[in-house]
Amino acid sequence: MSWRRFTPLAVLLMLGLLLAACTAPAPTSGQAGASAQPAAASATGGNQKLIWSVEGVNELPGLDPANPQNAQSIQAINLIFGGLVKLDAQLNVVPDGAEKWEVSEDGKTYTFTIREGLKFADGTPVTAGDFAASINRALQPETASYGAAFQLGHVVGAADVAAGTTKEASGVEVIDDRTLKITTDDNVPYFLAQLTYPVTFVVPFQAIEKDGAAWTEKAFGTGPFQVKEWQHNQKLILEPNPNYWAGTPGVAEVELPFFADSETAYQLYRTDGLDIMGSQQNPIPSARVPEVKDSPEFKTVASFAVRYVGFNNKLAPFDSVDVRRAFAMAVDKETLANAVLNGAVGATDRILPPAFAGSQLPIQGLAFDPAAAKAELVKAGYTADNPFPQVTFTYGAEGDNERVATFLQQQWKENLGVDVVLQPLELATFSKSMDTTYLTPADGLQFYLSIWGADYPDPQNFVSQQLRSDSPNNNGHFENADFDKLAKEADTFIGTAEDRLKLYNQAEQIAVDNVGWLPLYVPQFSVLIKPYVQGIVPTGQGLVIPDWTVVTGRSSQ
Amino acid sequence: MSQLIGRRLLSLVFVIFSITFLTFIVGYLAPGDPILVMMGPRRDPVLYASLRHQYGLDLPWFQQYFNYVGGLLHGDLGVSYRYQGRSVNDILGNGVGVSIFLGMMALVLSLLIGIPTGILASLRQNSWFDRTSMITMLALFSIPTFVMIPILRAFNYFVLYKNGLPSLPPAGWGTPAHWVMPVIVLAAVNMGYMARLTRSSMLETLQQDYIRTAHAKGLPQRQVVTVHALRNALLPIVTVIGPSLAFVVTGSFVVESLFAIPGVGFIGVQAIGQRDYPVIQGTTVVLAVAVVLMNLVTDILYTVLDPRIKAAG
Repeated sequence: MSWRRFTPLAVLLMLGLLLAACTAPAPTSGQAGASAQPAAASATGGNQKLIWSVEGVNELPGLDPANPQNAQSIQAINLIFGGLVKLDAQLNVVPDGAEKWEVSEDGKTYTFTIREGLKFADGTPVTAGDFAASINRALQPETASYGAAFQLGHVVGAADVAAGTTKEASGVEVIDDRTLKITTDDNVPYFLAQLTYPVTFVVPFQAIEKDGAAWTEKAFGTGPFQVKEWQHNQKLILEPNPNYWAGTPGVAEVELPFFADSETAYQLYRTDGLDIMGSQQNPIPSARVPEVKDSPEFKTVASFAVRYVGFNNKLAPFDSVDVRRAFAMAVDKETLANAVLNGAVGATDRILPPAFAGSQLPIQGLAFDPAAAKAELVKAGYTADNPFPQVTFTYGAEGDNERVATFLQQQWKENLGVDVVLQPLELATFSKSMDTTYLTPADGLQFYLSIWGADYPDPQNFVSQQLRSDSPNNNGHFENADFDKLAKEADTFIGTAEDRLKLYNQAEQIAVDNVGWLPLYVPQFSVLIKPYVQGIVPTGQGLVIPDWTVVTGRSSQ
Repeated sequence: MSQLIGRRLLSLVFVIFSITFLTFIVGYLAPGDPILVMMGPRRDPVLYASLRHQYGLDLPWFQQYFNYVGGLLHGDLGVSYRYQGRSVNDILGNGVGVSIFLGMMALVLSLLIGIPTGILASLRQNSWFDRTSMITMLALFSIPTFVMIPILRAFNYFVLYKNGLPSLPPAGWGTPAHWVMPVIVLAAVNMGYMARLTRSSMLETLQQDYIRTAHAKGLPQRQVVTVHALRNALLPIVTVIGPSLAFVVTGSFVVESLFAIPGVGFIGVQAIGQRDYPVIQGTTVVLAVAVVLMNLVTDILYTVLDPRIKAAG
């Protein structure tokens, strides 16, 4: 019997098996690099572990707090690093690395006292010099940080460091090992809130010098945890920081697996593979919400973000406030929120999201009123003899935007009789055209769908940041003299918090009356948390853990 | 033979240059900007200019390309724009290994089931076996992966997990239990195609004169099929497997993202949306190399299977 007849199949099979064997997955271990990180104490915090999913990416772009590229990175960075201050469950600024601080009379000088005995996870003491060096590093152009120049923009000298003309910001001064003085260019009431952002976190220079760019593979800082192992494209495993100033965390390990797809994360949650799932940027899949919303594990809170329609105020026809008001009053937001988006969002008529600082003062929004909308259009000069031109509504092709845009198009047709052409764009192309709209409005979009989420819990971040005529985020170039005056006054206000909020409220009312934005809805931040997990608080800004020592997880047996 | 190999490897160099150049030009001219993508809604012209400089994006296009090729000749695929400080070699290296492993297992499974099914169906043409198996194979071929995955998952959850039976993990990578569902999904499509291709190819081969001669000589059916018909019938399969093996290197975007498998498929596609040019370039280079090499292997296999085909290169 000749064996040659088996040759073809045999060759194919052997080839296949050979290649499979040669490329069998390598044992998934983290980088075996020399590192300044200490061995973690064993089984502190009991034998509990927390598996907390990171959704929307299959890999973290980086763990360097000076350059937090997306919300997922920030989720991990907040567990590993610490700064001068942080937020508590009510989103107030509370001490972290700095145990106390003093603010000068004119509100421009902050003197921080660094905690006594504060150490990095490897035991190296942390000094005020380390904080200063970390801030300067974040600003230096070599670090290529996308957010530092903005978040630290009020620090005197920050712009010079970012431009590369100097290495150290003149407004950051080390008085002694435990005292740090920061000077701002103006009285900025929300400056402390800006310091809760990762760019100001202190980084271990001893590790950076030793390992160069690879120091983040075994990242550590002054946060509750440090990196035990980073399995690229799979998960990040954290172990407790033995020198954490606030006490040993209640869990001995935190595992952060990455899921590009939220549905996959959900599947794993319901087969007990995860303890926490869902995040602000990647919520529980809306198709799954009906089946979980009655469960005690489902927690939902309005997030600090507003989806809105923005207008190019420099281009006809939206340069007319009457036209913008017409468009605003022709949209039935309740139907949008409840019928089109299945109640997963809350309709809104104002700039500030609910439960946000300043939102306790009411606003009179533009109610849904087709008759009044048509009247506004007539007032703007568009009648049967001078019909309203066709306009193009642009949006990024992701998530529910398609549904929202289609609904809006239909509303404007039905209630105003205008023709709107939809233009969905791929995300990178959309962000480019938004940029063009800012830089050269004549070539820009006419009106667009956008969303704004809070960077820090202060009304400046919504009202002024988005709508002041000199703000770089005012893509549509909304300009109103009264609004600018009030917003500028509030931004640098010296006085009581109540009076400051009143100023923002007045400014917000003007913005709403003149349609700086057409606010549509506020997304809900929904998470699933297993019942045995304690100490995690969902807030509009995301999940906040005020005290790691009381956090519990699953038994890691 | 060595001439063939030599010539092919030379063409590989040419192919890589053309592909990287084309990808580079398309990326350069396409709308969208990696710096803007990363900056998100922030706007800061000073920062924008500084970042462009840091990433070398303000250099003229030919210089950027020249720098890239220089690195390529040293085997350095550059550093990713998106993943801080990580080299493209590193990002793709881990991922390609996983994708190849998954792809090979799926390919082997699809061949093990697909080819015998096709052969049997062709031998029993128009029988109930032929009809039902071909309809099943067509179904497997037609059902998209993102439909099959929820079906398998639902089965896994409602039938196995809920009833306390041993079930598979719905996602992840690391243990053999994690391999089962992704391999089934990936193999299903290929299996359907292989079976139908084998069947039609066998049918055509069995019509040949030499088969009739073999029967006339009195050879048993089994010997006719395996000794005479099979090798010729498998030639089209080999033609198809070549590129399939090559594309295994890019992984399957859908399967990898839905099963949270750390392969290169998701990274490759995501890099496009984020304009992470070094990763996009790296993926195309790896794929080009794989395709050229696999074509070479296929051609060599031809000469093994069918001595009439000379290795003329």
